[in-house]
Amino acid sequence: MDKKAALKRINVFLGVIVFIFLVLIARVSYLQLMETEHYRTLARENTLRLITIPAPRGEIFDRHGVKLVGNRPLYTVSLINLGQTREELEPVVERLAGILDRTPEELWEAIENQSPRRYEPIRLVKDVSLEIVSRIEEEQIDDCLRGVVIELEPMREYPYGNSLAHVLGYIREIQPDQLKRHKADGYRMGDVFGQAGLENAMEKILRGTKGARQVEVDAYGRPVRSLGVKNPVPGNDLVLTIDLKVQQAAEAALTWAVEQAQKEGHDDCQAASAVVLDVRTGEVLALASYPAYDPGIFAGDLSAEQAQALMTAPGRPFYNRAIQSTYPPGSTFKMVTAVAALETGKINHQFTVFDPGYFYHERRYTCWNPAGHGTVNVIKGLQVSCNTFFWEVGLRTGAETIAWFAREFGLGRKTGIELAGEAAGVVPTPEYKRRMVQAELDRRFGPQFEAVEEKYRVKIAAAASGERREQLRREKEREIARIQARYDRYAWDLVWRDYDTLNMAIGQGINSYSPLQLANYVAAIANGGYIYQPYLVQRVTAPDGRIISEFGPQLRQRVSVSAAHLDLIREGMYRATQPGGTAYGSFFDFPLPTAGKTGTAEVLNKNDHALYVGFAPYEEPEIAVSVVVEHGGKGSKLAAPVARKIMDAYFGFVSRGASAAIRNG
Amino acid sequence: MKNLDYTLILAAIAIIALGLVTIASATQATSVSGEANFVFIWKQLLGIALGTSAFVFFLFWRYEELAKYVKVLYGANLAVLLAVLLVGHSAGGAQRWVQIGPFLFQPSEFAKLVVIIGLAFFLSQREGRLDRFRDLLPALAYVGVPALLILAQPDLGTAVVFIAVTVGMLYIAGARPLWLGTLALGGLGSMVVWIWAHLNHGIWIPLKDYQIGRLTIFLDPWSDWQGAGYHMIQSQIAIGSGGLWGRGLFSGSQNQLHFLPEQHTDFIFSVLAEELGFIGVVILLSLFFILIYRGVRIAAQAKDQFGTLLATGIVSMLTFHVLTNVGMATGIMPVTGLPLPLFSYGPSSMVATLTALGLLGNVWLRRQMIVF
Repeated sequence: MDKKAALKRINVFLGVIVFIFLVLIARVSYLQLMETEHYRTLARENTLRLITIPAPRGEIFDRHGVKLVGNRPLYTVSLINLGQTREELEPVVERLAGILDRTPEELWEAIENQSPRRYEPIRLVKDVSLEIVSRIEEEQIDDCLRGVVIELEPMREYPYGNSLAHVLGYIREIQPDQLKRHKADGYRMGDVFGQAGLENAMEKILRGTKGARQVEVDAYGRPVRSLGVKNPVPGNDLVLTIDLKVQQAAEAALTWAVEQAQKEGHDDCQAASAVVLDVRTGEVLALASYPAYDPGIFAGDLSAEQAQALMTAPGRPFYNRAIQSTYPPGSTFKMVTAVAALETGKINHQFTVFDPGYFYHERRYTCWNPAGHGTVNVIKGLQVSCNTFFWEVGLRTGAETIAWFAREFGLGRKTGIELAGEAAGVVPTPEYKRRMVQAELDRRFGPQFEAVEEKYRVKIAAAASGERREQLRREKEREIARIQARYDRYAWDLVWRDYDTLNMAIGQGINSYSPLQLANYVAAIANGGYIYQPYLVQRVTAPDGRIISEFGPQLRQRVSVSAAHLDLIREGMYRATQPGGTAYGSFFDFPLPTAGKTGTAEVLNKNDHALYVGFAPYEEPEIAVSVVVEHGGKGSKLAAPVARKIMDAYFGFVSRGASAAIRNG
Repeated sequence: MKNLDYTLILAAIAIIALGLVTIASATQATSVSGEANFVFIWKQLLGIALGTSAFVFFLFWRYEELAKYVKVLYGANLAVLLAVLLVGHSAGGAQRWVQIGPFLFQPSEFAKLVVIIGLAFFLSQREGRLDRFRDLLPALAYVGVPALLILAQPDLGTAVVFIAVTVGMLYIAGARPLWLGTLALGGLGSMVVWIWAHLNHGIWIPLKDYQIGRLTIFLDPWSDWQGAGYHMIQSQIAIGSGGLWGRGLFSGSQNQLHFLPEQHTDFIFSVLAEELGFIGVVILLSLFFILIYRGVRIAAQAKDQFGTLLATGIVSMLTFHVLTNVGMATGIMPVTGLPLPLFSYGPSSMVATLTALGLLGNVWLRRQMIVF
């Protein structure tokens, strides 16, 4: 090849080189001169992080300022995904496992279970001690825990554990359906949300407003400098009407009652509840349901399965029996019957019934005391809880009238307390009874009729001759008629009968009210006929103590009952706590005059429910109490002592039960 | 002494100086709080010192004498490459280094030079006899053996440099462009087809998944922006956000906050582009162009075919490095991990490149029969 040809080739070669440089310059020009803004934005996005700062949730105090729900710092150890390989992470995980007292396998599992985006923290261990936090921070100085960060978030704290659990409720990560409903309020996945009790009912007040911090971070997500902070606004605090002292006394008394009942062989006695109201305002001083749970268990790591197991635990500890359960009121209902009869003029204060120990109407009904109460007026009727007297009075007054007065006292209707899930209860009416009995009849006889139809359809289809078929048809008719006869016997009960009125007059049968309704009803008897809306929150205050809103008594209705008649009722209830009264055994040494009424609600095939309603002091009533011990037997034996203990706590008397416990302990 | 190519030398010095400043910025971000801050600079300076000695040595030593050592060099080269495979030091999944005293030495950097020298001699011996395709075969075999050893490390980038250098030198040596074109495009084309077949039909390929990922990700880095595409995206963000004037030296957020990976070696160009902007890029590429242009001029004026081919091989090598490195940083070439000559951190590369420049100067010095 000659020199000239070689030079020509070298020129081509140079041309290729020039072309390459032009391509590179063109590409760089495009990136740097035309797309500058686009890439500047991306570079900025790389370095900016908006870190939300959770708002401290409002705290909850009792009426005397005792903190019932607070917040404490919760430290979570997380690992930031820097895109490291497993080998690179190995030493970090080993070291961290040593500090956290876990096996490396556990941490690996946590890491592999979550696969967040690069630079987003993987939560390894929640709620570590301050000691561990400082050890990790020491090691971080040597840079051997690359990517490990400690996050701080406020955690809910319930210093009194199980106490008042049903009123306070609990918080948990917002559930998908809640998120859907409340998305507009700015909730995001992972936010906490009140799930029950006041935590749920007052969610809007308690939650506060999230803050945010804008920081510049490096590629490892480590903050380099802070660019601005929007401080969170803490949630507002609640001051309750609850008196923790009374509440705890109520809880202790309920526990005592259940244990006592079990000791006496009432094995089906598993639950109880009590309500204490201020009769002058409707303030709820105590609202207790046994068994309870510790709301604090939801603060840690709780899997969906664990939560489910708790919710469905035997005894249903999450069920707030004081407002969600309804019970036949038993004899605690007799004041309604008495008021109805007095107000409609069916009886007056002089009216008497002679109780020979039984009552006869269509058949013989035996009073709870077969020895008989002799001549009984309305006061004595209440004092000794004479069934015979109230049967007579009930018949004279009529079911409709009694039902009307029951509703006057707020029975069979939600009281309007702040908590969700309140039961309405049932004031029996003929219509209600018909529906109930009909449903029962359908359940029992429906399948029987169908079975016969089915049996003969097959047989008739298989029959050889027309004669045989005719014979089968007749057989079928006979069988149907037999069932129909039995059906008709029960169907007699579709209609409201006198015995229903008798049952209703003494609070048995279909009647069914919540302990809260019973307390509110007794409060109205005590305060002269005023039905207040019971309430738990008396004040909402800002974290700086400023009062945001205050709640006072709310009168819902005035019971149409004369003062004179109420006095009669009250006297009857007072006598019940005096010698000869059904509650004397529990109140004979009570330092104040008090009034009450025991109740024993019959339960089919099970022990009776024990009930007690009462108020104190008798002259100038302050509080009303209702107690229900499920399957606890006689009201005078278990429910009245519970009420006594609660009243002791309220008035500051030394409780017999407590002193007995101290002696025994 | 007036026969030295001062333009080339000044351009090289300017590139090295700009490189040192950029490395300082890149490593300041890398190092933890002050400590070890200057280790990279010191090592680079050592590389420059060694390289300068090599430059001076190869500048004045008659390049014709190299012919005597071609066989020895070639054999030694193969031995070292084999040694790397057996006892080498690995980083990022590839065995590329051997430890010599406190230094990690990268034989593949020198293998490139040895192959250029050997091929230049080989081709100059068979001048004018490259018309037929089979004339090319011995040359291909000559390059192929070391190339395969490097491919086995695996160092795909360097192996591809061998192809670029060989094609460039064969062209200048007189091979028919048609054959070369067929060879280059055919090689490239069959590689593309092979990778495509592997990805879509699971055909066996002697590459690991991550290597394939690096080769193909530049087509759409956002498809795996957290993984294989991350380097590429961050590099483009760094370059793009530099704009005309740059973010200022030591002030690029992509570099300083460590979003840019490998910022003092493979992606050093992105640091320069981010902090000194388009102006800095134009200056650097101009310097490279001057350097390479002088190299081409030397090739054209060399006194013999050996000198021309030597210069051509060196120029091809430098050009290909600039193309792949800048192309990778700007997202138009696959990630190959080739350094930017004289500019990236890397003492081995520095010594090898300065040796190559020494040989270039040598060829220039001896363009006339009598010099001093």
